[in-house]
Amino acid sequence: MLERKQVKGLVSALAVMAVFAGPVHAESTEVIMQDPGGGYGEALRKVMYDPFTAETGITVVTVQEARSGPRIKAQVEAGKTEWDLTFIFDQETKLLGDCCLADIDYSKMSEEAQKTLAVMPDNLKRQKGVALQVIGVGLVYNKDVYSGDAKPASWADFWDVEKFPGQRCLPAWPRFVMEAALMADGVTKDQLYPLDMERALKKIEEIKPHVSKWWTTSAQPPQLLLDGEADMCMAYTGSTSKLALEGAPIEVEWNQGFVYYDFFSIPKDAPNYDNAMKLLSWRLEPARAAELTSNFPVALPSSVVFEAADPAISIYWANNPANVSRAIEWSPDYWGAQAANGTMTNEEYGQEQLNALLAK
Amino acid sequence: MSDTSISAPPATAKGGRGFWRNPALLLLPATLFLAVIYVLPLIDLGRVSMTGEPWWAHFARVFSVPLYWESLIRTMKIALTVACLCAVFGYPTALLIQRSRGIMQVLIATTVILPYFIAILIRTYAWMVLLGRNGPINKFAIWLGIYDQPLALLFNRGTVLLGMTAVLMPLMVLTIYSSLSRLDPSLTRAALASGAGPLAVFWRVLLPLTLPGIGAGFLLVFVSALGFFITPTLLGGPADQMFAMHITQQADSITGEGFLQALAVVLLLITLGVVAVAGRMMGFEFIWGGGKLSDTTEAPTKTRNRAAGQGRRSLGMMVADLIGWPLLRLLGRMPAAVGAWTVRGIGVLIICTLILPILVVIVISFSEASYLTFPPPGWSLKWYEKFFSDSNWMTAFWNSLGIAALSATIAVTLGASAAMGIVRSEIRYKSALMLLLVSPMIVPPVVLGLSLYSLFLQMGLVGTYFGLAAAHAIGGIPIVVVIVAASLQAVDRKLEQGAAVHGASPLTVFRTVTLPAIAPGLAAAVFFAFLHSFDELVLSLFLSSPRMKTLPLMLWADINYQLNPVLAVVSTLEVLLVVGGIILARPVLSRSRGGH
Repeated sequence: MLERKQVKGLVSALAVMAVFAGPVHAESTEVIMQDPGGGYGEALRKVMYDPFTAETGITVVTVQEARSGPRIKAQVEAGKTEWDLTFIFDQETKLLGDCCLADIDYSKMSEEAQKTLAVMPDNLKRQKGVALQVIGVGLVYNKDVYSGDAKPASWADFWDVEKFPGQRCLPAWPRFVMEAALMADGVTKDQLYPLDMERALKKIEEIKPHVSKWWTTSAQPPQLLLDGEADMCMAYTGSTSKLALEGAPIEVEWNQGFVYYDFFSIPKDAPNYDNAMKLLSWRLEPARAAELTSNFPVALPSSVVFEAADPAISIYWANNPANVSRAIEWSPDYWGAQAANGTMTNEEYGQEQLNALLAK
Repeated sequence: MSDTSISAPPATAKGGRGFWRNPALLLLPATLFLAVIYVLPLIDLGRVSMTGEPWWAHFARVFSVPLYWESLIRTMKIALTVACLCAVFGYPTALLIQRSRGIMQVLIATTVILPYFIAILIRTYAWMVLLGRNGPINKFAIWLGIYDQPLALLFNRGTVLLGMTAVLMPLMVLTIYSSLSRLDPSLTRAALASGAGPLAVFWRVLLPLTLPGIGAGFLLVFVSALGFFITPTLLGGPADQMFAMHITQQADSITGEGFLQALAVVLLLITLGVVAVAGRMMGFEFIWGGGKLSDTTEAPTKTRNRAAGQGRRSLGMMVADLIGWPLLRLLGRMPAAVGAWTVRGIGVLIICTLILPILVVIVISFSEASYLTFPPPGWSLKWYEKFFSDSNWMTAFWNSLGIAALSATIAVTLGASAAMGIVRSEIRYKSALMLLLVSPMIVPPVVLGLSLYSLFLQMGLVGTYFGLAAAHAIGGIPIVVVIVAASLQAVDRKLEQGAAVHGASPLTVFRTVTLPAIAPGLAAAVFFAFLHSFDELVLSLFLSSPRMKTLPLMLWADINYQLNPVLAVVSTLEVLLVVGGIILARPVLSRSRGGH
């Protein structure tokens, strides 16, 4: 009798647990989308998500996360995918492709979206991901501090603290920073890869005392420039050129800048695959994509969208031919490749080396 | 457990039901809960950390790559410095609380206790506001004409030390204060009457007798500082990377599996090692603040330890005299009031450091400017409007409230019954059980969060109300156990026995005698368990999901993306919550203090 009581207690305890723990997957009227936050996040909400919800009845749940690759891997391997649509790096569509990403069914895209896709190079519409935004990283400076003839125009100038005195800010990552350091040290564009990391680190050590902040999120450099904590930064061109358009004393220099693509992928076993496809298709439609960029200057790499956009804004686009010709061709494949010691990628190895240098 | 049933007191047993009357059974739910959701994941963490080829490959990397072992040494250095700073400045503050009277004492005690219950995230944020480019300190220095361009006061080692010391100071002050208040005041009076100067009294009476309190505070601060993550991340630069930060960084790396766990295991082992050594030297009671358990089986060894301690202390006394007296003679030449003024000066300094940042944040929440600047250029309530009209903030607020309520329920149900079991039963290994129950207090939250993540993924608990509440309850249980056990020990057992003799069933005895007596303690436990969950950030960082955002998570995201006055609004509301709670709990607090 006592045992039965005990069992009963256990059963009810489990029942209570099940009620609270049960995932709420049932209704598929939502889609869970990774979000960059900041001004870009607000623009996306206004131009993309709210009208999408109004038309389809599907709520867009956003989650602010700068980097999703490792989390996707953990989730998929445990069989508990939480996200429906994420943006990942070029190299990650390959590194994570087989284990963790679902195929994109291009036949499900709307007619309008097909127009955008038709003019995109094949390399940007892969089985495991679509390049939905062109990202630029460039030299951004305060116009009030550097004007007239004394404008920095290359990474060599960025490193030249005698000619251009002032505080710098740089991302706390090896990618871009190491390439810039090598160019500042005299390596030419076409000789960059494979990178000489040791030489790059030595050059980074030179600039280190002049760096007021090694930033980690895209919202930081514009803030640092506006607050006067830094006068010259390596920064994303998207958020900084938005400020320039709004009249802030900020200028973006494209020479030796970096252009790369963010790929949009659907993790394997995503809870709302169909909704993710609908949202992806929605975002690819040229008129809407152009409208988004007039709110926030991050472009979609398709000439159809470029033609539909306001030229006053598209001068800041990373895929504007005028800008692309001055930028360098950044190599995601190099950073995704195995490092010499064989246990990690070049990116992870470089990060460890850079962290060690910064910690000194 | 078979031992338990044998030694169960058959007092009021009717037939075979005696077994079910054994209070030791009350320990079962909490022990099971912690075994599944706390011990098991930590063991699994150890397993994953050894999946390298050979098994120690990941550990070899921790100790061979300078980045990691240098950071380990740096972490120890920072933790040690912070503990020393807390001890040096905390002692005078505790003395000041003890020496002042009436309303002054209440005021000073409140300024120390209040920050203790406000989220670390919010207190760190307050320092960012205070030290920022447009913050009050820069503005004030420029106004005074000390320098004319705002200085970069943030993101260096000094700020990390300052922030961590300020965050951990209340812990130190409260620990020392409890040891001071247990001191017999006639001892100091006797010493004074026998002609000792105030300094000599301090050196020969006060300091030696409160040394265990200082030691306990020092260790608690040191151990907490070892696992610190929030404060160094927000206030430090790249040269101030602490060990826990590498763990979260590696969590962002695709090939980090295994190595990541090895980092966590190293941090855990170091923490446990420090606690084990300290526990052997001064007894593990320091973790839960002194209350010795009536542990019959281990009593003899304890007395022996105490005797040995006495011997060691007299040796220490000799050394102290050797170094101390010349120093004291030198100090003795100063005017007599210097000592008292030093205490007052340091005390006031510490109280300002603790309370000023919070006041500045409250003021800024009413600012008109859209960035952080002090004093505010104008006044407005727009940030409050923004908070209450933003659906994201409100959802997060209600999530936090719901999770905290559920978590407090779990923690109090399990914790209070476990406390009953500990205090009222006569089982062996009581100290070991108590140690298990309170140990979550010392495990670095980063390690706990990482270990729980894989368990939660497999059980589908990531981002669920129940999952987060249960995870928060791991840290809530120790708080409840400590508070409830203390108030249970204060209950006169004769009353319970009297009721039982007159025929009341154990349940009736509990309902009519025990419960009313421990009700204030229970209420305090509910409040603190609630607050613990409401403020929790680090575990939530690992265990939340896109749909489940709590208030601290929203704060964390915003601090990293943009510093705006909405954060100040949230902070102000939290301060109000804590102040309200403390006012409600004051009768309890004063009663428990009166018990000394």
